[in-house]
Amino acid sequence: MKIFDPHIHMSSRTTADYEAMAAAGITVIVEPAFWLGQPRTHVGTFEDYFGSLLGWEPFRASQFGIRHFCTLALNPKEANDERIAEGVVALLPRYLGKDGVVAVGEIGYDEQTPAEDRWFAEQLELAKGFGLPALVHTPHRDKKRGTERSLALVREAGFPEERVLIDHNTEETLPMVLATGCWAGHSIYPKSKMDEARMAALVRQYGSERMIVNSAADWGVSDPLKVPKTVAVMREQGIAEDLIETIVWENPVRFFAQSGRLTLDEAPSTADSWEGNSVRRG
Amino acid sequence: MSTAAPALAALLAARRSDLAGTILTESTVDAATPFDPLRFEALFGAAGRRFGTIVLGGEATVSDSTAPSWSIATWGLDELARALLIVAGISRIAAADQVTWLDGLHRAGAMRERQAILRCLALLPDPARFVPIALDACRASTQPVFEAIACENPYPASYFPETSFNHMVLKAVFTEVALARILGLATRRSTELARMAADYASERTAAGRSVPADLALVMSR
Repeated sequence: MKIFDPHIHMSSRTTADYEAMAAAGITVIVEPAFWLGQPRTHVGTFEDYFGSLLGWEPFRASQFGIRHFCTLALNPKEANDERIAEGVVALLPRYLGKDGVVAVGEIGYDEQTPAEDRWFAEQLELAKGFGLPALVHTPHRDKKRGTERSLALVREAGFPEERVLIDHNTEETLPMVLATGCWAGHSIYPKSKMDEARMAALVRQYGSERMIVNSAADWGVSDPLKVPKTVAVMREQGIAEDLIETIVWENPVRFFAQSGRLTLDEAPSTADSWEGNSVRRG
Repeated sequence: MSTAAPALAALLAARRSDLAGTILTESTVDAATPFDPLRFEALFGAAGRRFGTIVLGGEATVSDSTAPSWSIATWGLDELARALLIVAGISRIAAADQVTWLDGLHRAGAMRERQAILRCLALLPDPARFVPIALDACRASTQPVFEAIACENPYPASYFPETSFNHMVLKAVFTEVALARILGLATRRSTELARMAADYASERTAAGRSVPADLALVMSR
């Protein structure tokens, strides 16, 4: 089964992770621009971060036969940082037209402040202008309220709901999201967020429509194999193969293909540089 | 406008007559329209999905007014389109601002955008001005970016200082790039390059590893 991990921060991961992911059947990934664990204090840092998501990281991924796409944005946490917020959003038009950018994201709420309202809305407008879908992070704290506010803001913005992926859902937020036209992402985590068995239960209850699963693996305690591990648990629990494939392949393909930039036809070439490149050589 | 622009435009038109005809106008490079840098960058960025990355192959060559022609068979169609945009577009930028303009385009460039910039440096006016961009790419570990400047490209042999050229050659050996892909290598062989190659061979031998056969190509002057 082909597997797509539509949310994973590979910049924080090792080549051993890439090897394990490829061996587990992951062939396509999306890396959203996000918070790096401590505040960045210069706008220029984001230029290099975006450059890395459009250059170095897709190259690393290609060495393991994995297609790498990204979403770019000012993230919700740093939307509150007056040193950089305006400057980072001003950078975005230069980057959002590029090949490999399949959505604006992660945008959304962290503490649900007025600054977050402002940059969430402004970046939705940018997404409209560039014909891109939007990837919306939902907060860890006050999650239900944050999800409600996210859905309300999308509606007020007149942004097409079928082009919005609301991420990091739980049992409590999922029904709210499915009641709209938005897609519902689930981040399968070792401890927090969602786990494999709970995810399987949600699939049995709600089916596969607009349902998406990701690892959201990053620099914290997380696991880049959580999508294939969720596939295994769903199988154990007797969920049909075609339903599983809809969730871990067809749905993320359909969602991100709305960007017009999800080019899956040309496989990444590893033959030319397999031996010679600076990543795999070790 | 560079003498190379019509040649690149013809190569592109031969492959994608449907898109090649309008790319200069749409990107505002066409002299009939006011130049709009953001509009230019949007077209420059979109070239990959519009043209695809199929390799040109065959007999495609290009030349400028000073250099003999060289093969661009390894360029992707997207790189050809982007090279055309740069070669034509730079003439819309004041001469004094051209380095800053291209540096900004390179710095903000996605991987294949950078490759296209590097591949056409030798076709730009006063190419020696762009050495810092080329050296930046030589430091990259993103192998396709390194190969875009080091391989099938006349720029390093023509414009690199000796130390930079030598390190590029050693990096090519180190990353197992065939030295035959470095244009003008024979004209840049030197005592110092031979010494560096010999030292590397010695290091490999001491480590119990094989010595890359290509090192012999530069071990003597």
